[in-house]
Amino acid sequence: MNPPGSLGVLEEKEEEHLAPPILGPSIHSDNPQERIQARRLRIAARLEARRREALGEYLDGKKESEEDQSKSYKQKEESRLKLAKLLLCGTELVTNIQVAADIREIHRRVEEEEIKRQRLEKLENEVKTSQDKFDEITVKWEEGKQRRIPQELWEMLNAQQVHCAGLIEDKNKLISELQQELKMKDDQYVKDLKKQSDDICLLLERMEEQVKNVMKTFRQELQNIEKAFEVERQELLTSNKKKWERALQAHNAKELEYLMNRIKKVEDYEKQLNKQRIWDCEEYNTIKIKLEQDVQILEQQLQQMKATYQLNQEKLEYNFQVLKKRDEESTVIKSQQKRKINRLHDVLNNLRSKYNKQVKQFQEENQSLTSDYKRLVLQFKELQKAMRHFALIDDKRFREIWLMNEEEAKDLINRAFDVDRIISTHHLGLPWMAPDFWFLKNVGPISQQQQKSATQILEEVLMEAEKEGADEDSSESETYLDLPKQVSARTTRKILMLLCDESGFLIESKLLSLLLPLEKNECYLLRLDAVFSVSASQADCLHTFMLEPLDLRAEKERSLVDGKSQEKEPPPSPKLIHPNDVLKILEAFVMSLRKPRDFWVPVKLLKAVRDDSKDSEYWEALTTVIPATTLNLWDALYTALEKYHLVLTQRAELLIENSSLERQNTELQQLLQQYLDTKINSELQVPPTQVFRVPTK
Amino acid sequence: MQDTQTTESPSIPSRSSTSTQDRSSTVGQTLSSAPQPSKPTPIIPPLAKSTGPGSGSGVRRMRRIIAEDAEWSLAIVPLLTELCIQHIVKNFQNNPILKQLLPEHQKKVLNHLSPDLPLAVTANLIDDESYWRRCCTQRWPVCHVDNHGGSWKRMFFELHLENLLKHFIPNTTDPAVILNLLPLCRNYVRAIRVDQFLPPVQLPAPPRGGDQSDSGSEGEMEEPAMDHYQLDNLVAGLSHLEELDLVYGVKDCGMNFEWNLFLFTYRDCHSLAATVKACHTLKIFRLTRSKVDDDKARILIRSLLDHPALEELDLSHNLIGDRGARAAAKLLSHSRLRVLNLANNQVRAPGAHSLAHALGHNSNLISLNLRLNCIEDEGGQALAHALHTNKCLTTLHLGGNELSEPTATLLSQVLTINTTLTSINLSCNHIGLDGGKQLLEGMSDNKTLLEFDLRLSDIAQESEYLIGQALCANREAARQRALNPSHFMSPVTVKGPENPAG
Repeated sequence: MNPPGSLGVLEEKEEEHLAPPILGPSIHSDNPQERIQARRLRIAARLEARRREALGEYLDGKKESEEDQSKSYKQKEESRLKLAKLLLCGTELVTNIQVAADIREIHRRVEEEEIKRQRLEKLENEVKTSQDKFDEITVKWEEGKQRRIPQELWEMLNAQQVHCAGLIEDKNKLISELQQELKMKDDQYVKDLKKQSDDICLLLERMEEQVKNVMKTFRQELQNIEKAFEVERQELLTSNKKKWERALQAHNAKELEYLMNRIKKVEDYEKQLNKQRIWDCEEYNTIKIKLEQDVQILEQQLQQMKATYQLNQEKLEYNFQVLKKRDEESTVIKSQQKRKINRLHDVLNNLRSKYNKQVKQFQEENQSLTSDYKRLVLQFKELQKAMRHFALIDDKRFREIWLMNEEEAKDLINRAFDVDRIISTHHLGLPWMAPDFWFLKNVGPISQQQQKSATQILEEVLMEAEKEGADEDSSESETYLDLPKQVSARTTRKILMLLCDESGFLIESKLLSLLLPLEKNECYLLRLDAVFSVSASQADCLHTFMLEPLDLRAEKERSLVDGKSQEKEPPPSPKLIHPNDVLKILEAFVMSLRKPRDFWVPVKLLKAVRDDSKDSEYWEALTTVIPATTLNLWDALYTALEKYHLVLTQRAELLIENSSLERQNTELQQLLQQYLDTKINSELQVPPTQVFRVPTK
Repeated sequence: MQDTQTTESPSIPSRSSTSTQDRSSTVGQTLSSAPQPSKPTPIIPPLAKSTGPGSGSGVRRMRRIIAEDAEWSLAIVPLLTELCIQHIVKNFQNNPILKQLLPEHQKKVLNHLSPDLPLAVTANLIDDESYWRRCCTQRWPVCHVDNHGGSWKRMFFELHLENLLKHFIPNTTDPAVILNLLPLCRNYVRAIRVDQFLPPVQLPAPPRGGDQSDSGSEGEMEEPAMDHYQLDNLVAGLSHLEELDLVYGVKDCGMNFEWNLFLFTYRDCHSLAATVKACHTLKIFRLTRSKVDDDKARILIRSLLDHPALEELDLSHNLIGDRGARAAAKLLSHSRLRVLNLANNQVRAPGAHSLAHALGHNSNLISLNLRLNCIEDEGGQALAHALHTNKCLTTLHLGGNELSEPTATLLSQVLTINTTLTSINLSCNHIGLDGGKQLLEGMSDNKTLLEFDLRLSDIAQESEYLIGQALCANREAARQRALNPSHFMSPVTVKGPENPAG
């Protein structure tokens, strides 16, 4: 049911579609033409909008493609947009028919529904009314059954018939109405069919047109694009051609230039060649003449040479003979020599072996000796240490002994002074004054440092320098404190180094070669030594000569000053000699230094040796504390006192004798007493006592 | 139907006699052979002639061109292979020899074969496209090989089968006519597109006579007798069938119109349902203009539930109502359907509701067509709500559905969110001015929509123009997107969908 219906509607709508459009269109109007018109307008508006949009897009595209896209790309883009637009619009145009058919169908459906509803309503009403009528009739039938009178019945039957006829008529009317409607619908359907076929025709037409259009535009666009490409290609070709021509022209110009240059150069060279040729010819001629002359001269010389050659040949022949003979002799001698050589070779071999043996032996010996030496050195060092130790101890002991002795001496002196005082006061009755001597106040050994001579100082300086050389930092200040303050050991050392550098000619080369492997300081020391020694020995006469006008003391002073002046380069003292004489004076100084230097090692070792002169003086002074007059006095006093003593001793002896005698006397008395007192006496007839008389006292 | 049969049968005996003419004509069509092959037919005569006059005149021997003799040719006696090939061609029907030949000879044989050979001989033997092309062009003046996958052989068999089906009259025509063809075409037919099924003939009178109308009008009683051809045997036999496009109707009935001619009976329906269910290779099923109502649609769709391959279902121009739509909605969630077309049916708001519900959770459906239904605002709103969650649908056709502003409001919201929809058709609705404005608003945030048909929907021209601009921008963007990742998408193909959508 549905497809044919829709088809019919489509046709119907199509007819409307074909009808001429009415002005003032609105999409919502009931009139399809108007709607179609509105749609067309809208499509036009849309197309316009698309075109504008495409243009804008195209502009955009152009903007972005300006740098890298070409005309062809632009054309392509343009064509693409155009074609897309065309397709879109075309399809829209074609599908518009379908959409229109759709909306018509919808409208139809709505209307149909409405009509259907109305019809149903009508039918229902009709059914109701007819039912009523029918009911009425049936009721009347019942009534009729009760009627007995035929007329009435007939009447009623007639009425019923009329009623029925009315009902039937109603129904028939309805039927006819419906049939009418059906017919109308049929007509409508036929119309619709026609419309739809028209619609389809239009659709086909449009589609065909669209296809044609599309084909045409596609072809056109293709042509456009091709044209664009062609144009682009042409442009490219022309531009390239231009470029090429320009390049060609430039190339031609350059070529021409090169050609001209070349021609010019060729001409130049030709000229030069000609010149050269002429010059060569002349030169050739001159050389030829010269050479010919030379040849003549040489020929002459050749002749001469030939003559001399012959002469020489003869001479040589003679010489040859002589030499031959000599050769023979020499061969004999050679053989002899050979034999001798052989013999000597044997000897040499023997000697070599011996030599080797000896070398080995000596090496061993050397090794043992070196070890011995090392040991000895060690021992020596130990010894030195011990010596130093002992020296210290000796010093100490010396000091102690000194002190002891001094004390003793002072004791003695004091005693002597006491005695003297006693003697002078007690015995002589003289007033006594204590003598005042410097040495009496002295305590300990006498120091001698103040008395060091200039030589000693220098010695010390040298020693110091060497010491410094040996060990840089251990600068014992006490030794050279006495030196002039402005001179440091370093400068001194520098000077000495300078000296040895400057006076290197004085050193023997052998020594130098020996010195090479040594250490720097040691080397300097030895070189200095050598320099001094050589200068000393060589400049002996100079030394004496120089010393002549000066006495020894002055020389010593000067040397001292000289040393100073050497130290401070600009000589400040007027006493200084001429700078030229410095070397000489140095030599002199060295001479003076030679002696201390000879005792170098002992000096170094016994640096605390003191001279005893003062000591003896001191000690002697101590002895002569009591002057000779006093001694004489004492002697005289002594003799007197001795005499006195003698007298006294005699007296004492006598006293002692006296006392002993007294004691003997007493004892004898006692003994006597005892005898007398004894009983025996009494017993005895004659008592001894009687005999003698007891001394009475 | 009978035409082919009749033409086929007499051609067989006549072939031997008319073979020479045939060959000359066919050879003329094929460009491959120049004068040499054009001559071979009269090979024997020239030989005979040459023996005749050639022996007689020595003068002729000296001449290189004999202008007066039309038959004279420089070509000497053809090669043995040529002769053999000719013989093979001549006796191909009785003794088909092809596979054993060398490729070049095969080519020659195929070029010379007649397109009228019985299919029983050629169907499974010849794969050569040029031969089938000749067959097709000989039988049908217009050949769209693109509709048949670009294969001439497939096209030949499909059209042949279609022809047979179109002219099959149940109870009259021998079903063996079709079933005999089955073993020959089973490997080649992939689509059956039949736009007419003839009903059985009731009277011995000519099938389309005027009496038919009486019988048709009385035919209510004879309903079972009105069944059409049952496809089940045929379809079961076709192992590669992918597309089934059927219209149960009669074409060109003219004034013999009968409602009975357009009757899709329940038996037809049941048998078709069983057929479709049994065919596991089917991808596209179309049943249009066949008066399928709710019950029949339900029967069909029930058989299609959980179909392994079906991708497209087209039931447009039928009488399907809300129940049928509900069944279709159920099918959506129980199959891998990608395209559903229910255009021009009677789906109303409840049906649209059920479809929208199914759509909300669906992830297969790409295209939904509800043109010319009556879902109204209620259904439209339901669908718009469903589109909030759907992430798959790209094409939606809601033309002529009595939609108005509320739907437009919801759709504009969808437009701002959705990024999969590329085409929407709202033509022939009453969207109104405000609805148009709202759609424009929604459109301003959308970057994926390429087509938006709003014709005849009462929208202000300004809004329509602006929407058109936005669409243009989207299309341009889509073109750029397509160009950049893959460089062979031309702008025309991007615009292409316009044609089928309209």
